Amino acid sequence: MVAVKLIPLLFSWFGIVLVLLRGFSGRRVPVAATGVVGFALGVVGAFALLRSYPGELSFGIVRGVVAGVFLLLWGTAVAALYRNTMREFHVFQGEKLVNASFYAVIFTCTTSIIAGAVCTCRLPVTGGTILALLLLVLAAGILVLAALAAEKMLPASLTVSQPALMAAVVALLLFSASSLIRLDLFSPLSMKVMKFAHDFVHQFFESMLIPDHLFIRTYLWGYIGLLFGNGVGFWGGMIIWFTPVVLILLSIRFELLPSVAHIRQGAKRRKLLAAAIRERRIRLVIPLLALLVFAAAAYRSSYPSVEYWDPTPVPVLASPAGEIVIPKQGEINLEDGKLHKYLYKQGGKEARFFVLLNPSGEFTVDLDACAICKPDGYGQAEGTVICYYCKTLIPLETVGKPGGCNPVPVPFTVKADGVHIDALTMINTWGNTVQATARIKEGGK
Amino acid sequence: MKRLLSAIWTVLSSRALPPLVCGVFLLIYIGIAFGTDDTLIALMEFTRKSVILKVLLALIPLNSLCLMLKETDRHLKRRRVKNGEENDAPAGLFDESITVPVSPEFDELLGRLEAEGYTCRRTGGVLAAWRGSSIFPARVLFLAAVFCLFAGILVSLTSRSSHRMNVIEGEPIPTAKGEGGLVERIRLEPSSGAILDKKLILEVAPSTAGDGRKVFELYPPSLYRGYFVYPRYLGFASIIRFSAPGMQSASEIQGTLNIYPPGKEDRLEIPGTPYQIVFSMAKPDDGSDPYMTGRFTLLFKVLKGKDVLFRGNVPAGGEFVNEGFRLAIPDFRRMVITDFIQDYGVLLVWTATLLLIGAGCIWLPVRVFCPRREMVFTYEHDTVNACSRAEGRIRIHAGVFHESLDLLEARRSATQ
Repeated sequence: MVAVKLIPLLFSWFGIVLVLLRGFSGRRVPVAATGVVGFALGVVGAFALLRSYPGELSFGIVRGVVAGVFLLLWGTAVAALYRNTMREFHVFQGEKLVNASFYAVIFTCTTSIIAGAVCTCRLPVTGGTILALLLLVLAAGILVLAALAAEKMLPASLTVSQPALMAAVVALLLFSASSLIRLDLFSPLSMKVMKFAHDFVHQFFESMLIPDHLFIRTYLWGYIGLLFGNGVGFWGGMIIWFTPVVLILLSIRFELLPSVAHIRQGAKRRKLLAAAIRERRIRLVIPLLALLVFAAAAYRSSYPSVEYWDPTPVPVLASPAGEIVIPKQGEINLEDGKLHKYLYKQGGKEARFFVLLNPSGEFTVDLDACAICKPDGYGQAEGTVICYYCKTLIPLETVGKPGGCNPVPVPFTVKADGVHIDALTMINTWGNTVQATARIKEGGK
Repeated sequence: MKRLLSAIWTVLSSRALPPLVCGVFLLIYIGIAFGTDDTLIALMEFTRKSVILKVLLALIPLNSLCLMLKETDRHLKRRRVKNGEENDAPAGLFDESITVPVSPEFDELLGRLEAEGYTCRRTGGVLAAWRGSSIFPARVLFLAAVFCLFAGILVSLTSRSSHRMNVIEGEPIPTAKGEGGLVERIRLEPSSGAILDKKLILEVAPSTAGDGRKVFELYPPSLYRGYFVYPRYLGFASIIRFSAPGMQSASEIQGTLNIYPPGKEDRLEIPGTPYQIVFSMAKPDDGSDPYMTGRFTLLFKVLKGKDVLFRGNVPAGGEFVNEGFRLAIPDFRRMVITDFIQDYGVLLVWTATLLLIGAGCIWLPVRVFCPRREMVFTYEHDTVNACSRAEGRIRIHAGVFHESLDLLEARRSATQ
């Protein structure tokens, strides 16, 4: 099963090596060797990290590195656009550096370390066994040999510019990371964009002294309200996600053609320009493929193949004293570390909540809703719970703590017979939370 | 020293500077996002406090100014070259520059270029040909807009001060030094505009300090003694008399209630007692706006600690009595909760918006329908210096330029 889960990641690794071999075509052997060594280093490093810090920290570090690489791609894309489309930046100062052997080695090594670390994170909770790691490195080595063979079959005209190489590598790394919800970048990015849009609109209104909603026409406020929805987060995230590759595509497409003013034969000039345009078109192939991989990564992030544990809420009643009592053992075992959902109804009101024994062995009772989003509820997978509305992952360790997109905690007591919750508190807490998030209730689940 | 100044000028007038500065701010934003949910507000606060960040932000308007100077200089130089006033075209002034050893067969070339739709002018040994309009004015407007926008943001971040005050009908408008004019009337009226639903008008009488009569509306906000008057919320200032069983005498409180629109609640504590009263405004059955009409009924609930003792309603100017409790509202006046904001950055940002619209309105049609294309041929010492430049339709223009050079070359071969 683990091997099946690793297939997309190993496929990405094959793609990375293939692109690296073509990108540094004059240095195939050092690139291949560095690739294998780097991958092994990444596997060992991630294994040690996961064993030392089994919680969210290890995944956070790996995800941070992947995010850093994505930011670097942004910088590269902007620089490429400036360099290729403006005459004053046409002379690239770092040409020598990019053509140096050590650059190819360092680039390959860094990429391989990250790829190895991402693959290791896909192994069972603590990074798997030594045997699993050895098999992983062996598989990576075989794929490098396969890539060496495959690269020779590619047409010689298929060249890769440095920004395109970067785009392809980052796209494949992000595709690998998107297969793990704890390494995924797109969903947290969408969430941050949603928050930024909200803050920006608020600050813009305040800074420009624009009257508040009291005085603005309802239809117009409805449009402004769209900026607060999760659609803005998703589409804003998509723009940030795809823009670097689009910039690289534009930088190649609008690259300045060579000057042919010194040539006095029209046919020769046209031939030279046609060759330059053809070569420019071929260089678009790799970034276009990278664009597809970026799309695939965003799709995997939006529709993860992970099966969330999302039990149907069990109806519960309150005692005459107004207490909801949920036994620890019985039909449902509260101590199994899984999230257990309940539904409490009182009069016309109802509240959905869950009970969970967190990894530190303490119970927590929380609403199946957070204080920010529409109450679409939570699912559980891979050491986290996920908010279905905004796809934010909340580590199990922090469930029970208030704030952000965490489920809203509800006061309770644990007694010998089970977990005791005040029914009125539950109904009121749900009521207040749902009322506060009512503004974004459109299109609910 | 000259080299240092030259390096500083190169950096300040580089088009790469704004994305670099924005990149640094993006990285700081990302860094802050790890620590807090209110990232944008935290970043603004950091920038406000940090000299380095302020200087970094100031580089963008400075860069716009430098670019304006640099591009104006280049534009003027190009004009001089075109007019034959200057023979030396510095590198980078044109897209393509070439020197060819040919005789000036400009008459035929002039006819050819005119046939291609170029306007030509021959001045001595210089032939200039051009068509379309330059985007230079749009570019200058754009740079001015960027300057105003970022200067506005900088000014706003560093010098904005804001005070929230209640502007109450029949009382002087609150100011820092006092002696504000009397607020004669506060009116809320329906608006027929496409954006604003209501018009809010604050009429302020002349003050003893010498201010003239003022009328403040919603947008654009007006200035009063250097502060923008920015109405935020509506409410009422009231006198409330309350007595309860066991109280020796009735309490009279002058309070402000932020209870607009109907349904919004505000709380008033009765000092020296455990009582609190939560007020809201009833929605009139006829659908009218109680703030506009001045006719309204207050809904209230009286709390002792956290317990609700009773609920009721009382019309403005009326009285409510229940089991020894007495609640009277003898006086009720309209109130606007207003921010008095001193921020001249706002004016710069508004200017930037207008300039950007102007720049866009010029740039788009010019770039799409008649981009500037020009070429200059200068005959000097048995050679022709040919320069060409295009702001759009580059390849077609380059083709015409290259064919012109071919023509000159062909005539030279024919004459030899």
